[in-house]
Amino acid sequence: MKLRLDQVRLPLGAFTLEIDATFDRLITGVFGPSGAGKTSLLDLIAGLRRPSAGKGQMDDTILFDAGVALHLPPRFRRIGYVPQDLALFPHLNVRANLLYGYRRQFVENHSFTFPHVIDVMEISTLLERSVTSLSGGEQQRVGFARAILSAPRLLLLDEPMSSLDSRLKTRLIPFLHRIRDEFRIPFLYVTHDAGELGALCDEVLVLERGHLVERGPPGKVLSL
Amino acid sequence: MTAEAWQIVFFTIKASALSTLLILPLGIAVAWLLARRDWPGKAFVETAVMLPLFVPPVATGLLLLMLFGRKGPIGSALNGLGLEIVFTWRAVVIACAVMSFPLLVRTAQTAFQEVNRRFEDIARTLGASEWRVFATISLPLAARGVVAGAVLAFARAMGEFGATAVVAGMIPRKTMTISLSIYQHIQLGQDAAAWPLLLVSMAIVFVTVLCGQIISTRKRP
Amino acid sequence: MKTKALGLFLALCGAINCSAAELTVHAAASLSDAMKEIGAAYEKENGDKLQFNFGASNMLERQIEEGAPADVFLSADEAKMDALEKKGLLLSGMRRSLLSNSLVIVVAADAAALPESAADLAKPDYKKIALAETRSVPAGIYARAYLEKLGLWDSVSEKVVPTENVRAALAAIESGNVDAGIVYKTDALISKKVKVAVEISGAEAPKISYPVGVVKSSREPERAKKFVEYLAGPAARIVFEKFGFIVMR
Repeated sequence: MKLRLDQVRLPLGAFTLEIDATFDRLITGVFGPSGAGKTSLLDLIAGLRRPSAGKGQMDDTILFDAGVALHLPPRFRRIGYVPQDLALFPHLNVRANLLYGYRRQFVENHSFTFPHVIDVMEISTLLERSVTSLSGGEQQRVGFARAILSAPRLLLLDEPMSSLDSRLKTRLIPFLHRIRDEFRIPFLYVTHDAGELGALCDEVLVLERGHLVERGPPGKVLSL
Repeated sequence: MTAEAWQIVFFTIKASALSTLLILPLGIAVAWLLARRDWPGKAFVETAVMLPLFVPPVATGLLLLMLFGRKGPIGSALNGLGLEIVFTWRAVVIACAVMSFPLLVRTAQTAFQEVNRRFEDIARTLGASEWRVFATISLPLAARGVVAGAVLAFARAMGEFGATAVVAGMIPRKTMTISLSIYQHIQLGQDAAAWPLLLVSMAIVFVTVLCGQIISTRKRP
Repeated sequence: MKTKALGLFLALCGAINCSAAELTVHAAASLSDAMKEIGAAYEKENGDKLQFNFGASNMLERQIEEGAPADVFLSADEAKMDALEKKGLLLSGMRRSLLSNSLVIVVAADAAALPESAADLAKPDYKKIALAETRSVPAGIYARAYLEKLGLWDSVSEKVVPTENVRAALAAIESGNVDAGIVYKTDALISKKVKVAVEISGAEAPKISYPVGVVKSSREPERAKKFVEYLAGPAARIVFEKFGFIVMR
């Protein structure tokens, strides 16, 4: 998977997000302090916000091109999104949430079938529960599973561990590894916590006030 | 309560229920558009929708009379199809619908606005079309407010007087609503006869508005 | 002769230093146009200001009963005046039957169908008939009594669109939203948008009588009496007859 962002600009109030970069590693971390524009970057890639300038392309698909007012709506992008607050649909139970984006015709291989995903994410016993009755860790796994079940070509994770305590965090990391190893979906993992990135990412980009100021393997970038 | 009075009560309930059902689809659509979309002239539409709340009801009734009268643009067309509007029960339903429309839209609009946009956005990333987002996410999450709006609209229709008097008249058994009947009793100096109707209508409206309040303020589980 | 007396009166007024008063006159809706003209002339001549309140006689009666300030009441039927008299709200000795009128069946000026008699109203061509409310408003009461006498009420009553007063019935007919209606001849005369189809006459025709009276609680009983005298006088008679009313002697 290759995601190319070409001269992309998005005004954000205090500053402008300006990105000109290519993402082609399996797991890319985006690191930066709060307010650096990380969520806005993900929104842009997912198609929830439109840039004021620039072009975005994922493999052969043009996601957006501000120059010719082209904007592929989110539903056609096959980009999964796990937002910071998970946004699990409160009026649907776990099963209905999981199946919301599931379409048989997109299931390319055994990895993305419903039984396999819920097995890997260890949520098979939670299916009939209401999402609000789940624990923090359970909600997280359901959030990931829901995004995976839509068979995305890219997964965007916005601070997936920020609301969890360190005990839960350590319990969740193996699941992220499984997502990487079992499903082979490229991720863009956004966080302000350097520790999470070390074990997981192939490459880390540092975002500061809307600009990519540093890029490289986690050990090198984060040791600063 | 005489048999005649009961007929009036049931007629009023039926007309109010019908008018509320009639405005639901358009009202929900307009509420959603006002809550989630922007377009040139939006403020104009928003104001136009709210007008029946502020314009004197009899003035609205006059406007409806001009539109739906036999010589009016809509009335003459419908007449051609054999449908008489003014001075029939249809005029009662239309007057109630117009007067209660803003209440439905206002309440439903707030309900849609309060739905967390994040849910709608995530649904989109999961492949949902705009219609599916509306039907499976926005509307269910706004349902409480929409129902409350419908209840308010019904209550308003039950009490509608000014516009109805102008465009439907006070024809016994045909267009006589509770409010019109009370007014007529006053005109005839039969105040005592108006009391049962007054109490029944207050009871009905009290119960419906109370239900609406309960529905809209109950906390989401 | 009259002018001499008036001149003396005005001089006396000037001497005693009485200022012009305001009289509130409640009059039946059908009298609107005639009374406005008479009132304007009276104000010029006399100096008193006239405040008119036009409406259905039953509403006006009700208002007087509830204590609305009024000096003179001109009703379209005797029953309303009787009711006030029974309640002791009229100044005794000042009541008189002033005018009469007749009913007509009218249709919109551009209507294609014209009823030839009241019986035609029962025909299916006439789907809606405007009458002033038939239990309370004089014009409606007269019309209903007439139709009942002819045995037509049962077949016509289903089509009746009752209105608040006779002028509202006239307006409904003018608008074309009803097929026909019954109003006073005097109403039909002032409207260009209706035409008279049938003049109601004969033995079954109602005896229409417009009584006038002075309200007991009037603050200006002498001036009120003066106005009532004027209404019964020659100047007012000319105006009433011009509008089509029959002045009673």
